[in-house]
Amino acid sequence: MGLDRRGFVKIVMGGVAGTLFTPVIWQSLDDVSIWSQNWGWIPRLNKGEVKAKSALSKLCPAGCAVKVKTVGGLPFAAIGNTANPMSKGGVCPICTGGAQLMYSPARVKSPMKKVGEGKYEAIKWEEAEAMLVEKLTPLKGQDGKIAAISGDETGTANEVLSAMLAGLGSTGFYVMPGEMFTATKGVKLMGGNGQPGFDIEGSDLVLMIGADALDSWGTTVANQKAFAATRPTGGAATAQYIYAGPVLNNTASVCDKWVAVPPTAMATFALALANQLIAAGAVSSAADFGDYKALVAKYTPEAFEAATGLKADVLKDLVAKIKAAKAPLIVAGASFGQGAGALDFVAAASLNVLLGRVGQKGGMTLLGAAPKAIASAADRENAKDAGSFLASVATGKATPGALLIYEANPAFALPQAAEMAKAMGNIGFKVSFSTYMDETAALADLILPAPHPYERFDDAMNPYGVSKPTYLAGKPVVSKPVADCKDPVDVLLAAAAKLGLSLGFDTYADVIKAKATALGGDFDALAAGGIWNGEAKGGALTLGAGALAKAVPVKTDEKAVALAPVTRLAYGTASLATPPANLVTLRDTELVGKDLFVQMNGATAKKLGVAKGNKVKLTSGSGEIKARVHVSEGVAANTVAVLLGFGRSAWDEFTKGKGENVYKILTVSDEAGTGLKVWAGSTVTVAKV
Amino acid sequence: MKAKEFNIKWGMVIDLDKCTGCGACMTACQVENNIAPMVDASNKLRTLSWMLVYELSNKKAAPDAEIAYLPRPCMQCGNPTCVPVCPVIATDKNEEGGIVSQIYPRCIGCRYCMAACPYHARYFNWEDPIFPKGMEKTLSPNTSVRPRGVVEKCNFCHTRLMKAKDKARQEGGNPEALADGAYMPACAEVCPTGAISFGDIKNPEHKVHELAKGENAYRLLEKLGLAPQVYYVSKREWVRKLGDNYAATGKAGAEKKHS
Repeated sequence: MGLDRRGFVKIVMGGVAGTLFTPVIWQSLDDVSIWSQNWGWIPRLNKGEVKAKSALSKLCPAGCAVKVKTVGGLPFAAIGNTANPMSKGGVCPICTGGAQLMYSPARVKSPMKKVGEGKYEAIKWEEAEAMLVEKLTPLKGQDGKIAAISGDETGTANEVLSAMLAGLGSTGFYVMPGEMFTATKGVKLMGGNGQPGFDIEGSDLVLMIGADALDSWGTTVANQKAFAATRPTGGAATAQYIYAGPVLNNTASVCDKWVAVPPTAMATFALALANQLIAAGAVSSAADFGDYKALVAKYTPEAFEAATGLKADVLKDLVAKIKAAKAPLIVAGASFGQGAGALDFVAAASLNVLLGRVGQKGGMTLLGAAPKAIASAADRENAKDAGSFLASVATGKATPGALLIYEANPAFALPQAAEMAKAMGNIGFKVSFSTYMDETAALADLILPAPHPYERFDDAMNPYGVSKPTYLAGKPVVSKPVADCKDPVDVLLAAAAKLGLSLGFDTYADVIKAKATALGGDFDALAAGGIWNGEAKGGALTLGAGALAKAVPVKTDEKAVALAPVTRLAYGTASLATPPANLVTLRDTELVGKDLFVQMNGATAKKLGVAKGNKVKLTSGSGEIKARVHVSEGVAANTVAVLLGFGRSAWDEFTKGKGENVYKILTVSDEAGTGLKVWAGSTVTVAKV
Repeated sequence: MKAKEFNIKWGMVIDLDKCTGCGACMTACQVENNIAPMVDASNKLRTLSWMLVYELSNKKAAPDAEIAYLPRPCMQCGNPTCVPVCPVIATDKNEEGGIVSQIYPRCIGCRYCMAACPYHARYFNWEDPIFPKGMEKTLSPNTSVRPRGVVEKCNFCHTRLMKAKDKARQEGGNPEALADGAYMPACAEVCPTGAISFGDIKNPEHKVHELAKGENAYRLLEKLGLAPQVYYVSKREWVRKLGDNYAATGKAGAEKKHS
């Protein structure tokens, strides 16, 4: 019996049908697809019990009260702490990716000493600590020979640093620029004392003049929570939010109104508003009201129009809204959190005095000096700025032999950054206490790795913006740091002891516990995610007329445009480059490849003769940067906006070499009347390349 | 076409008037779902952003310009266009509260689903997940790491749903009637302004039930009839209009009024 054609076809068809009915082929295909994705280099998940531990995450300037989720003891995520009133369950974008930052490729893994230009050698802690003592010993007792720069606004570490310097005979304790520094000086000009606070939560009309309060200013998360509480989804808003500033930023995006004020006209805007409020009947009992009234008379609606390019109707509308509000609040600040003068602060804050809002619910408050853990520490309100110090070093007026840099990155994040980095070269011995290999660590002679926030004790006293005295503290989440690091304060206390100076404590943990006790708080409750609050003061502030009278209006070159640096918390801070987990939030209108974008509105672009996508050069008195043009209508007239925080020369592959450092082109000038260094009104020329 | 309906409908209501565009939701999503950081995250053709915050503009010149931010997770459509096009049934809309699943080991990477999704909510892994040395120790235990060659997307942090159900069972509760807030995706959990509300849209005890019916609530591209389970709320008319490019004329193919 032969196999005919029909029989052959039947066998083949039967075979095919039979194959389809057996599960073998499908199971094999399924297995193949699983096996082909099951490679050894695909990371496996960690197993173990999932827990959530309270921590103080000081990755953002204000510090977030978080719950760190761990699996088998390893942190993997951070969420807000619902029990903490500063968080109420919210967390900022930086602290959200906090666990990943423990393993940042930029992390300093062990102590290192400089052995050549850009070359470092890992050393043991014993050697590093001995080197620190050895270098400080000959400088002991000579004022100005040992200096320290702190980039931490709120930690009690500042008390240790300043007390240590005082004990060694030096007064060279400096802080990095920030709102707290400027505002505290501003309050003094208004006859007051202490750090100003703003009760956003209690206000029904919040006018933010410059302050990017819902993204990068003050206690961002607490501000966002206060804002959100007045905006129930699907319900009626119970407070109005207005933003006046050069850029339609994250804060302005959710405000009821954005008033597009160029950065060079912030004080003019505030004083023109004061003029119109007085015209509408506002009267203050402040002693200098007469002088103030005479002063603001110059800031007419016409002057406002000339300075801002806006119509004066904007002011009328604002006056009507403020008069209709029960608890209006003016939040004063620089649009990028630094560089404004004390007089800019006074101009905006004086509106609170004019409206009788100081010490009131939903108004401006004053926070007195907090009890110190170390009596000989410097008072916060007498802080000196790091920029002026390094400028003196550059000119040879200051000649420190050693510089201790604590959690700060002055080589990158001071205005005229290139000059600041150069000035640091004049200092013989520089020690950087840093968690990450930042631009300053890269210039240091000795790098002492600091722990990540989940690996250390730390605290936050009165983060800037809080309306009443506030204290947070935290303890380590993990039992062992992932790098060979030591707490900088522990290192400093040990060094002080070897130099014959006792500050009364052996560890930072002890200092923080003493601070908590001095305040009347309980450290254990604080470390468990709690908070300590005191009572805010009112205080009889003046309108600051005497100081404001010395203010000189900003003169701009016809060819120049105002420069508005933009901060977005998600992209990092003055002491932290964009974290790896946040990179995805960058827009392709902000950075593409290595090109940073400069944003300007259509009218400004036309005036400058540039168009979308053009490569341009921004030049100021202190340097130049290159960028590409993005035309955005969210920028005020005659202003260009560029993101701060890019153009890193250290850090890691995720950030190094991307974009340009805008700090380089911020030009410092002396504020008339106060002598403070200011750079918020920097201008640049823009030219196609 | 009738949308698939189940007893439970997990959904989001996102209040665009509260979203500041801070990016915490995107970062929390990256962390929860073990998405490896990319060296060049500005290459948006390669990034994996299950949750993506778009910037919307009213297109008016300064100083009258307004912007709004729109967080876009997967819409978990009632009529998902991605499901019928999948040749290997690697994606399905099932009774897990109507969440559109994505089964990575089954995905063959053909990307039909990406072409079909009008919301661009699906992403293809062009590269293997490479974490900086040591960072794999921070992997979340909730989501397996996907290899190169598969498509992935938001699944409302589905593992959290399973864990919430397990917890309910352990505590003697009903896993099919979770309390409001018992199950919460990572983005909704961290949002500092509470712009993202989440719950069972069919359950009157969950606040999203009412919010989704609000007068200013809408869904993206409703005319396509995909019945998304993600709702948006905005009092700003120009924002709502951007939810559908055809809304201005009511005709598909009409001139694009917004971008």
